[in-house]
Amino acid sequence: MSYLDDLSTELAAVGIAGSRKRRILAEVDDHLRESGDAAGFGSPSLVAQRFADELASTGARKAGIGTFLALVPAGLLYVVLFAFSGPSPDIASAHTFAIGLPAAALMLLAPQVALAAALLGVLRVRARRGDPVLPAAEVRVLRRRAAVAVSAGAIALAAAATYALEYRAGLPSWWVTTALAAAGVALVPLAAAAAALRATSRLEPRAAGTAGEISDDLGVGASPWRVCLVAAAVIAIAALVAGGPDEGPRNAVAEFVAVCAGFAVLGRFLGLRR
Amino acid sequence: MRAETLKGHLDFLLLATVAGEPAHGYRIIEELKRRSAGAFDLPEGTVYPALHRLEASGLLASAWAKDTARRRRVYRLTARGRRALASQRREWRGFTNAVDAVVA
Repeated sequence: MSYLDDLSTELAAVGIAGSRKRRILAEVDDHLRESGDAAGFGSPSLVAQRFADELASTGARKAGIGTFLALVPAGLLYVVLFAFSGPSPDIASAHTFAIGLPAAALMLLAPQVALAAALLGVLRVRARRGDPVLPAAEVRVLRRRAAVAVSAGAIALAAAATYALEYRAGLPSWWVTTALAAAGVALVPLAAAAAALRATSRLEPRAAGTAGEISDDLGVGASPWRVCLVAAAVIAIAALVAGGPDEGPRNAVAEFVAVCAGFAVLGRFLGLRR
Repeated sequence: MRAETLKGHLDFLLLATVAGEPAHGYRIIEELKRRSAGAFDLPEGTVYPALHRLEASGLLASAWAKDTARRRRVYRLTARGRRALASQRREWRGFTNAVDAVVA
C-alpha cells in the first residue's frame, strides 16, 4: 500500500470522509511529489489524528456559537408570546389534559435548559479562545452542551405549539396562530445547527488534556459547587421576588432545588464540574 | 528548534508566511524554513492540519490553482486573518521588547 492509501484509511478511521478527505489526499499527493519524502511527512495515523484534532476543535467552537445563534429566533418567539399572552388559561382547560399539562410544564422548563446550555457553550468557547487545539475532553463537553441546547430548544418549540393547540379555547386566536407559525420558522435554524453538530461529531479527536469546569467558564477561582450554590441562590431570590408573597417562597425553594439537582446530575456530563 | 517551542506560535508563523503572497502547503513550509535560516523546519504533517483549521476559522481562504498540471491548493490571507496577524504582531513585539529589556 502507498502512503496515500494508508493515509486514506487512517483519515476514515478518525471520521474524515467525503470532499474533505479527497482534498487532504490531493494536497498531500502534491506535497509528496514536490518533496519526494513520504517519511518526512509523518506517520499516516499521526497525520490523520492531527487533522481530526484540529478540525474537531474548530467544529466544536462553531457548534457552541452556532447553537446559541440558532436559538435567537426561538428566544424572540418566547419573549413575544409571554409578553403579550394576557391572563393564562386554566391549566385544567386543556383539550387533552394529559398532553396539555406536560406541554405547559415543558414550555417553562425547556427554554431555561436551552438558554443555560447554549450560554455555557459560548462561555466555554470564550474561555478556550487562546487554545488553537482543544483537548478531546473539551470537544466532548462543547458538543454535549450544543446537543442539550438544540434538543431543549426543539422541545421548547414543540411544547409551545402543543400548548397553543391544547389551550386554544382560552387563548387569543392571534396568539395561537403566532405560536404555531413562529415555532415552525424557529425550528429551521435549530435544524441547521443540529446538522452542523452531527457533521462535526463524526470526527474523533484524541488530543490530550482535561476539560474545564464552571469556574473556568466564568473566570472565577471558586469551587464549582460554590458557584452552583451562589447561582441557585440568585435564581431563588429572583423567583421569590417574581412570585410575590403567595407563590414566591414555594417557587424559590423549587428553583433552588432544581438548580442544585441539575448540577449534581448533569454536572460532569456538561463539564460543569470534574 | 524543538517542536514544543514552536507549537504556540504556529498560527502566527503560518499567517505571516502567507501574508506576502498566496502559497500552497509545500511552498509555505519551504518559505518558513528559508526565512528562519532552517530554524523552523516544521514536521510537514503538522502544517496541513493547521492550515485547514485556520481556514475553517476564517483566517485563511483557499482555492485550487488553475495554472498547474496537478491539483494544488493555494492559501491566502482573508481580511479577518490580516487583522488577526496585525494583532499578533503587536503582541509579539510587545513581548519581545519586554524580554529584551529584562535579559539584555
